[in-house]
Amino acid sequence: MKGIVFTELLEMIEDQYGYGLVDSLLTESNLPSGGVYTAIGTYDHAEMITLVDKLSLKTQLPVPDLLRIYGRYMFRSFTRGYRPFVDRVDSAFALLQSVHHHVHVEVRKLYPDAELPHFTVEQPSENHLTMRYESERKLSDFAHGLIEGCLSHFGETATITKRNLVDDGSIVLFDIVKT
Amino acid sequence: MDNNIDQLNRRLLREKTARKQAEVILEEKALELYNANEQLRHLNENLEQQIRDKLAELRQSEQRYRQLIESVQDIIFKTSTDGHFTFVSPGIEQLLGYTEQEFLQMHFLTIIQPGYRQKLLDFYLLMLKNRQDSNYTEFPVVAKDGRIVWIGQTARLIESDEEVLELVAVARDISDRKKAETALQTTQTRLSTLITNLQSGVMVEDENRRVILVNQLFCDIFDIPTTPDELIGHDCGEAREQVKGLFVEPDAFIERMNELLQNRQTCVGEEICMLNGRILELDYIPILLDDKYMGQLWRYSDVTEKYQAREQIRRSEEKYRGIMNNMELGLLEVDNEQNIMRAYERCCNMLGYTEEELVGKNATELLVPLEFQNVIERQQRQREEGSAGSYELQLIRKDGSRIWVLVSGVPINDEHGVLVGSMGIHYDLSERKVLEEELAMAKQIAEEARQAEKQFLANMSHEIRTPLNAIIGMSHLLFDTQPSRQQREYIDILKTSADFLHSLISDLLDMTKIEAGRVEVHPRPFDLVGLLRATQKVFEMKLEGRPVDIDVMLDARITGDFIGDDVMLNQILMNLVGNADKFTEKGNIQITAKLKQDEETGCWIEFSVSDTGIGIPAEKLDLVFQKFKQVNPQGHKHKGTGLGLAITKELVDIQGGSISVKSQIGEGSVFTFTLPFAKSPVLIEAKAVVQSQTPSASSDVVLMRHVLVVEDNLMNQKYIGGLLSKWKIPYTLAMDGKRAVEEAKNQRFDMILMDIQMPIMDGYEATVAIRSTHNPNQHVPIIALTASAMLDHKNIAMEAGMNDFLTKPFDPGQLMALFKRYAPKVSADDSEPKALDQKRLQELYGTDKAYPLEMFDLFLTDVVPEIYGLQAICRAQDWSLLARKAHKLKPTLGMVGLSWLEEKMEELQKKLKQGAEKEIIEQYCTDIITGVNQMIPVLQKETQKLSQV
Repeated sequence: MKGIVFTELLEMIEDQYGYGLVDSLLTESNLPSGGVYTAIGTYDHAEMITLVDKLSLKTQLPVPDLLRIYGRYMFRSFTRGYRPFVDRVDSAFALLQSVHHHVHVEVRKLYPDAELPHFTVEQPSENHLTMRYESERKLSDFAHGLIEGCLSHFGETATITKRNLVDDGSIVLFDIVKT
Repeated sequence: MDNNIDQLNRRLLREKTARKQAEVILEEKALELYNANEQLRHLNENLEQQIRDKLAELRQSEQRYRQLIESVQDIIFKTSTDGHFTFVSPGIEQLLGYTEQEFLQMHFLTIIQPGYRQKLLDFYLLMLKNRQDSNYTEFPVVAKDGRIVWIGQTARLIESDEEVLELVAVARDISDRKKAETALQTTQTRLSTLITNLQSGVMVEDENRRVILVNQLFCDIFDIPTTPDELIGHDCGEAREQVKGLFVEPDAFIERMNELLQNRQTCVGEEICMLNGRILELDYIPILLDDKYMGQLWRYSDVTEKYQAREQIRRSEEKYRGIMNNMELGLLEVDNEQNIMRAYERCCNMLGYTEEELVGKNATELLVPLEFQNVIERQQRQREEGSAGSYELQLIRKDGSRIWVLVSGVPINDEHGVLVGSMGIHYDLSERKVLEEELAMAKQIAEEARQAEKQFLANMSHEIRTPLNAIIGMSHLLFDTQPSRQQREYIDILKTSADFLHSLISDLLDMTKIEAGRVEVHPRPFDLVGLLRATQKVFEMKLEGRPVDIDVMLDARITGDFIGDDVMLNQILMNLVGNADKFTEKGNIQITAKLKQDEETGCWIEFSVSDTGIGIPAEKLDLVFQKFKQVNPQGHKHKGTGLGLAITKELVDIQGGSISVKSQIGEGSVFTFTLPFAKSPVLIEAKAVVQSQTPSASSDVVLMRHVLVVEDNLMNQKYIGGLLSKWKIPYTLAMDGKRAVEEAKNQRFDMILMDIQMPIMDGYEATVAIRSTHNPNQHVPIIALTASAMLDHKNIAMEAGMNDFLTKPFDPGQLMALFKRYAPKVSADDSEPKALDQKRLQELYGTDKAYPLEMFDLFLTDVVPEIYGLQAICRAQDWSLLARKAHKLKPTLGMVGLSWLEEKMEELQKKLKQGAEKEIIEQYCTDIITGVNQMIPVLQKETQKLSQV
C-alpha cells in the first residue's frame, strides 16, 4: 500500500487528536516498518489494518466509520495534491466516472507497483450512478468516504446506498442517486 | 515533560527516518527516472530514425505510385461525392486535352457526351445508394477539341466510418475498341441485312445440322409457312425430307445433298429443276474455322429467267451455227499474225482440211499462193485501221488444187476495242470464176463482133459514099459542060437521086452515131444570123420556080456571135426546113428566131420553122419524132428514111434544148425548138460558118497558092482536081500517105487535103509524120477527107494533128468554105510581106557579110524548125517548156532583122507568165509561125544577096 495512505491517515489523526495519539499508535503497534512512513514509499497494507484497528480501539469509533471519515479527508488531500484531475471535470459523476479509466491509469503510470481497486461505473440515468467496487483490500468504506468527499467538493448531494455483493466485502455496489 | 520530549524525539526520529527512507526512494526513483529517460531518449532517437526512414520510404513509395499513375495510359481520378473532380492524373491532358487545373474545376457530368449524362448519373447514384464497392461502366466523353472519346471506367467508393468520402476511378480510353465494336456491329448488321435481302434463299446450318440463319426468300422458295426466325434451331435433315417433293427428282436431290455434306467441298452453280418449272441454282459452302468444320451455308437462287435466256441464246447460237455451217460461206478466224484461231465446218470442206489441221497454222503460209500474199498484206493493213473489206483471191486446198474465193474480211475487236484478229467469210467463186471467164470471152467476142460491125459500117459508108461522092461531084461538073436541055434534065434526075441516096445514108449513119453516143456537142463562136440567112438562101434556090416563099424573121436583139454547135444547128434547120419544103405545095416557109432568155453569160433562143403545108393529124403528132415513122398520108410522093425528125429531136436534146410541134390539117405545121447559147466575148470574123454555097459562090477569089491533094481514089482525084482547076488553084496530087510525106518535104503548100483510108500509109500516119518531122509543111493546115462519118474517126484525125474534117461526099461549097477558112489570111490582107529591120541589121553587122550570112543560114536551117515546134509544145500544153523555148528563140529573131516577131515572142513570154488561156497562147504561136513562114522567102532572098557578094 502506497505510503501516502499512511502519511495522510497519520496527518488526519494528528489533526483530530494530536500527535500523541499518532505516537502511541505507532509505538504500541508492532509495525514491521517501525512506524516510519513516507508518501512515496510502499508498505504492507496489513500495517494499515493494524493502525486502523488500533485507532478504533483508542477512539471507540468503528473501523468503517473511521475509514469513511478518512475517505472524506483523503479526497480533500487529493484536491490539493492532484488538482488537475479534479478540474478536468465539472461534476461529481463526471469525476467518478473517470476514476477507473483515467485517474487510476495515470496513478499506475507514476506508481507501477500501486495496488488499486477495480471500479465498474454505469450511469442508468442523469442523476443515477452505480459504482461496482472490487478489491482484495476490502476498503469499500474508504471508497465510500472518497465518494462523499467528491460530492461534497462539487457541492452536490446524493443518497449513497452501499450493498455488499459478496459477504467478505471485496465486491461492493454503490448506488448513488443525486438529490 | 520527558514524555513529550520522548514523543518529540520519536517523532523526529520517525520523521528523519522517513526522510532518509524517502531520500533513498527518491534516489532510486531518480536513478530509475534517469535510466528511463535514457531509455526514452534512445527510444526517441530510434523512433526518429525510424520515422525518417519510414518517411523516406513513404516518399519513395509515393514517387513510385505517382510515376506509376502518370505512366499508365489509364487516367486515375477522384471525385467528391457530389461529382466534382478532386484529383486527376496528368494523363488527362493527353487523353482529353484539358490540363489538370482545368479538369479539377469541372463536374464530371460536363464532359459526358450529352445523351449519356442521365444514364451515367443514375448509374453512380445507384452505386452510392447501394454502397457498391466498385463497378465498371462505359460511356463517351467530349474532349476539349470536341472529339468523342469512349471511356471504360472502374469506380470505387472510398469510405470511412461508414461514410462515403469520395470516389476513385480508373478510366481508360476504349475508343479503339468501341470503334472496332461499332465496326463489327455495322458489319454484322450489314451482313445480316445482306443475307436477309439477298436475292437468293440462304440457310446456314451448324455442325449439328441445326438452322442458325435463314432468310425469307429461302422460306418463299420452299413454301415454308413459318417465318425465318421460327425456323432457327430446326433440324435441316428433317426439313430436307419435307421439301424434297418440290423437286423434279426428289431422291436425286437428297442423294446430292448427302453427297455434298459428306464431301464438304464448296460447290457452286449447280442447277436443280423444281416441279413448278422454276430452276434453282444451288451453292454449297462448308464453313470451316481453322480447319474445324462448323456447318455450312446453302444458297438457292432462282435462275429461271437467266436459265431460259441462256437456253434461248444457246438455241439461237445453235441455229446460227447451223446456218453458218450449212450456208455456202466458209468462216475463218485468224489473229493479227494470221494464225488460224477457228475454222468453221464449211470453210474446212472448202479447203479440204479438218479444223484440227487448220487451227494454229498460219493462214497466209498454208493457204495463200505467193502471188496473192500482197493482197492479204493490204487487207491486213485495212483491218488494222479497223475497216472491213472484200477481195478475191485464190487459195490452195489440201490436195494442192486452187479455188477462187471471194473473201469478206472484218476486224475482230475484243471487249476493249483492241484489234485481236479478223474474220474472213469465204465464198467459193471457182464456178463463178469459170462463168466469168466464159462471160469475158463472150464479151470479147461480142466486142470484137461489134468492132467488126462498126468497121463494117465505116467501110460500108466509105464504100458507098466514095462512089456517091463521085457521082454527085461529077453531076456538078457535068453542068459546066454545056449539056443539052435533055442532058441537063437527065443530070438533074441523076443528081436528085444521088442526093437522096446521100441523105438516106447520112441519116442512117447519123442515127447510128447518135445511138452509139458518139455525137458530141462542139461549141464554138459562130454568126447565128449568117447561118440563118445561109439556110434561107439554100432553100430559096431550091424553091425557085415553086409558089413557096421562104422568109426569115429575126429578133432584133439577135446580133453578133454566139457560142454553140453551129454544125448541129445547121443540121436541125436543114432537116426542119427540108421537111417543110417536102410537104408544102404553096404558100410560105418561115424561119423565126426569138431571144427567150437573156443572161450575162448566155441565152436561150427559140427557133421555129412553120409552113403552110398539108399538116399533121392530131393523133399522129406524137409519132413524128419517133424513128421510122412517116406520117404523111399518101406516103408516096415523099420518100425518106423516116429518121429526119427523130435525128432532129436527138440533136436538140443533146444540146440540152427541147423541141415541140403544133399542126393543123390542111393549114400547116410549126416546129419550135429552143437551144442554149453562150455569148461570145469577142467579135470574130464572120468566116467560120459552114454553109452550103452554090458553085457560083466558089468563084470568089481565094488566095490559095498551092494545095496538096492526097487521095487514092481516082474518081475523087478527078472530082477534087476538077473543082480546083475550076477555081484556078494549083495543086499537087499524092496517091498515098507515103508520097504525101515526101511531097511535104519538097515544097511548101498552103493546105493539104488528106484522105484517111489509103494503101501503104493512111492519112493519120502521114499527118503524124508531117507534123513531127522538120519540113516546110509542118504547120500547114491539114484537112481530113474521109468517107467515114464516124465521130471517133474525126477524133483520131484531130489527135493526129489534122486541123479539120470534110466528110465525103461533099459539095463544092463545103470545100470552098474550108479554103476560105484556112487560106493564109496575111496574104489576103496584106500581100506584101513585112520587110526586115534593116536598121537593126546595120547596127548589128555593119558592112560585114560573112557573119550575117552565117546567122541567116543558121536561122533558116536550125531556128525555123524549132519555131515550128512551138505548136506541138503548145498542143501538149507544156507551158514551162514553151516558156524556155520562147526565151531561147526570141534573140535569134532579132539577129535576122525580124524585130516585129521578136516583139511578138516577147508578148508570148508575157502571156505565158500571166498564165493566159490556151487559145491565146496558141494564137500567138500560130501568128509567130505564120509570120516566120511569110518571112522565109524574104530571108532566103537576103541570104542569096549576102552570098552573092
